[in-house]
Amino acid sequence: MMDGWSSKRPVGLSSFRAKFILVVGGAVLFDLLVSGGLALWNVQRLSRDATLEVGQGLEAASQEYIRTYADSTAAQVNLLLRQVHNDVDTLAGVLQAQIDNPVRNSDVGAAIARTSPDSVSLSYDEKGKWSQNAPGSASVVSVWGYLLGEDHQPKPEIRRDIETSAVLDLVAPSLLQHGASKLQMYYIGPRERPIFRTAPYTDQAQTFDRLYPGHNEADFWNFFFPGLYESWQGWARDMKTRPVADDITQTAPYTDAITGKLIVSFFHPLWTADRKDVAGTAGADITLDQLAQTVENVKVAQSGFGFLAMSDGNVVAINGTGEQTLGLRSASGASGTGVTGLERSLKGSAQPAIAKLALDREQGIQHLLLQRDGNEVPYIVIVKKLPATNLWSSGPVRQEAMLLGVVVPEREIDASLYAAQAKISEATNRIVIYQILAILMSLLIVTIAVFAASKRITSGISALAGAAKRIQAQDYSVRVAITSKDEVGAAGEAFNRMAEQISYHTENLEQLVEERTAQIADQKEEISALNAQLQRENRRLGTEVAVAERIQLMVLPLQQELEEFQDIEIAAYMRPAEEVGGDYYDVLKNGRRLKIGIGDVTGHGLESGVLMLMVQSVARALQEAGNTDAVKFLADLNSALFKNIVRTKIDKHLTLAFLDYDGREMILSGQHEEVVIVRANGEIQRVDTMDLGIPIGLDADISAFIKTREITFEKGDLILLHTDGVTEAANDSGEMFGIERLCSEALRLKGQSAEKVVSGIVATLMHFIGSQKIYDDITLLAVRHR
Amino acid sequence: MEISDENFRVWAEKNEVYFDGVFRLAGPDAYAPIYSLITGLLHEGHKQVTFDLTGLEFLNSSGINLLAKLTIEARKMGDLLLIVKGTHQHPWQAKSLPNLKKLHPLLELRLA
Repeated sequence: MMDGWSSKRPVGLSSFRAKFILVVGGAVLFDLLVSGGLALWNVQRLSRDATLEVGQGLEAASQEYIRTYADSTAAQVNLLLRQVHNDVDTLAGVLQAQIDNPVRNSDVGAAIARTSPDSVSLSYDEKGKWSQNAPGSASVVSVWGYLLGEDHQPKPEIRRDIETSAVLDLVAPSLLQHGASKLQMYYIGPRERPIFRTAPYTDQAQTFDRLYPGHNEADFWNFFFPGLYESWQGWARDMKTRPVADDITQTAPYTDAITGKLIVSFFHPLWTADRKDVAGTAGADITLDQLAQTVENVKVAQSGFGFLAMSDGNVVAINGTGEQTLGLRSASGASGTGVTGLERSLKGSAQPAIAKLALDREQGIQHLLLQRDGNEVPYIVIVKKLPATNLWSSGPVRQEAMLLGVVVPEREIDASLYAAQAKISEATNRIVIYQILAILMSLLIVTIAVFAASKRITSGISALAGAAKRIQAQDYSVRVAITSKDEVGAAGEAFNRMAEQISYHTENLEQLVEERTAQIADQKEEISALNAQLQRENRRLGTEVAVAERIQLMVLPLQQELEEFQDIEIAAYMRPAEEVGGDYYDVLKNGRRLKIGIGDVTGHGLESGVLMLMVQSVARALQEAGNTDAVKFLADLNSALFKNIVRTKIDKHLTLAFLDYDGREMILSGQHEEVVIVRANGEIQRVDTMDLGIPIGLDADISAFIKTREITFEKGDLILLHTDGVTEAANDSGEMFGIERLCSEALRLKGQSAEKVVSGIVATLMHFIGSQKIYDDITLLAVRHR
Repeated sequence: MEISDENFRVWAEKNEVYFDGVFRLAGPDAYAPIYSLITGLLHEGHKQVTFDLTGLEFLNSSGINLLAKLTIEARKMGDLLLIVKGTHQHPWQAKSLPNLKKLHPLLELRLA
């Protein structure tokens, strides 16, 4: 038997195990994905937080570092400046002490003149029209043309100053050797005798001539430092007017007339002994390089740099890279007044961010975007103000606080941050990969576990299914070994018990059959008893039916009775139903008169037969009594029957019709089925008998309802009488034979003898009925005029 | 009150009796319960009683015998108007019901 169930173990998607694996695996997978996803999310978040945290920490640290660096650089610059200030202060202190002590001043001057004549012996220069001592001395002293007499010799008061200023030779070389590295130290006399003594010796005046043509004739202070001297004179009158409470006055960077280098000068004005006026100045120059070195030594990360700028943004110290980075453009001072300054301002920077940089106040760390190779690169800039100082830069002395800037590409500062972030990111990725691997591993393990567990869990069910199939194949020896203590185990036990029972029943079939046979034998006794009872009943019924049938057939006219007429032929057919109905037909002959009757008693069985027998007897009696009136005949017959029905309590009646024929007329009376007449010319005539009477046995007197009808009956005519057994006979599909079929059959057979007509119609009818049960008696009678 | 089997159903509502289905009962014994049900109704004292046969597809001759006996019973009661409702849809009714009118001329036969 094929039931679409493969004989192999089911491993398809529809198998229980597959479903189990799908459900459990799906749940676990979901769980893993959720937990794994959460873990991953957490790791990512942790990484993000860590990155942020580290980033913030590092940024803070970096900024702190830069700030500190800037502070320390500022301190260094400041230290350098302070050292220079100290050296200038020392020199100025010595010179001021000499001024304050004129006697000693003269003595010291005279002494030096004696010991170091080179320092005070000047020779006139024809070309330059100035006077200057010869090389070899510790210092050079230049005396401008307008300070010389007509003999080209310095004027007496100048002469004295040349000697007294030689004290510089004692102090300056030592100061130059020690302390801050300086280019030179010098003394410049007051406005009325501005001799210029400088240590160490250089071709001072010659350089002036080259760089500052026309200086020799001009007033020294006005020519070189316009406004400076007047500022100092203001200070002499009121020290409070000093922009910064310090005598040191610094110049903006300018090209040194002596060395031709860019320098910054630090002046310390000298005062007259009464402190009412200016008595010249002590000074020291440092090259911008020296100042810049400190700043330029700034090295933050790879390409960080420092710069030093004046408060107006003019950068005085910066390295080449820095200059390029800040987009500075140098322009030599074109003011035409005083020393030539250096114009290299932040404000003129090609970098908009730098040009806009606020210089008037400290702003701490600033983040700027600087253009580099067409890209915007972020930089960190910190600008510190150095301690304020007095500054001259053409015009009156004003307060100046130089600016120290430190500039670092943010990328480099953040390099460590990036490195940390990269480390964290790397760690995160590693964790993520491990996590994913862990999930995959878990999934693999779970899958294997589920697979194994499913095998264990479902093996019971599979075993059950397999065993059930073996049972199906009639192998009753099969047992399942399911050890689990669950429902499957219980099912297995139940299955085994069932299999045992099946096996037992199968193997003990014979015994069982015997047992059953014994049981059946017992039951058979009972059945036999009942059967006997039934048989007796049946016999009684059967006897009754048999009797009824005998009665029915017994009273029918004999064949020879039907054949003894000259001008008409009569043929009749009657077939009792299985239960024997109460059809009646008769042919009564009395002399010339012929009475053909047809009727149908209601119901079946013996009583119907008896009633029919009575009808026959009464009809015969009435015929014999010479009753020729058809109406009276029927009324009397009914009367007799009715009384007998009342007496016998046979609760039945019958339809009954008669044809009376006296050789000429054919008279029809009584209510029965339609009479069919087939004329010789083929015409069919159906005569309804409903109005010709009423069923016999319903009422005591029916004379009022009986009517007669004369029927033309000529040569070749055929009269057919039938009971409803003919027309109501049904075929397999419940269709009735019907009066139309009867008529057409009669027409088909009209030329034939009455016998042939009857047998032909009966054959057709029987063929029509087929295997259907015959419920009612079938009676057909044909009367044919010869 | 109702009598029925798988093929037919007879029931009474007030003074109307309804016949439905196909009656092929074996004989008077089988029809006896129906006869007693309806004669009971006839004697309840109604002015008129209606037999509604419009749903009666077929009635065998024993059934017609029953109807005839009931008609005669109604006739005996004199002042009771018996109305029989039939239909031409079922040919046997047109054929057999006029007999009831013959048995009891006062019977009102309504063949629709």
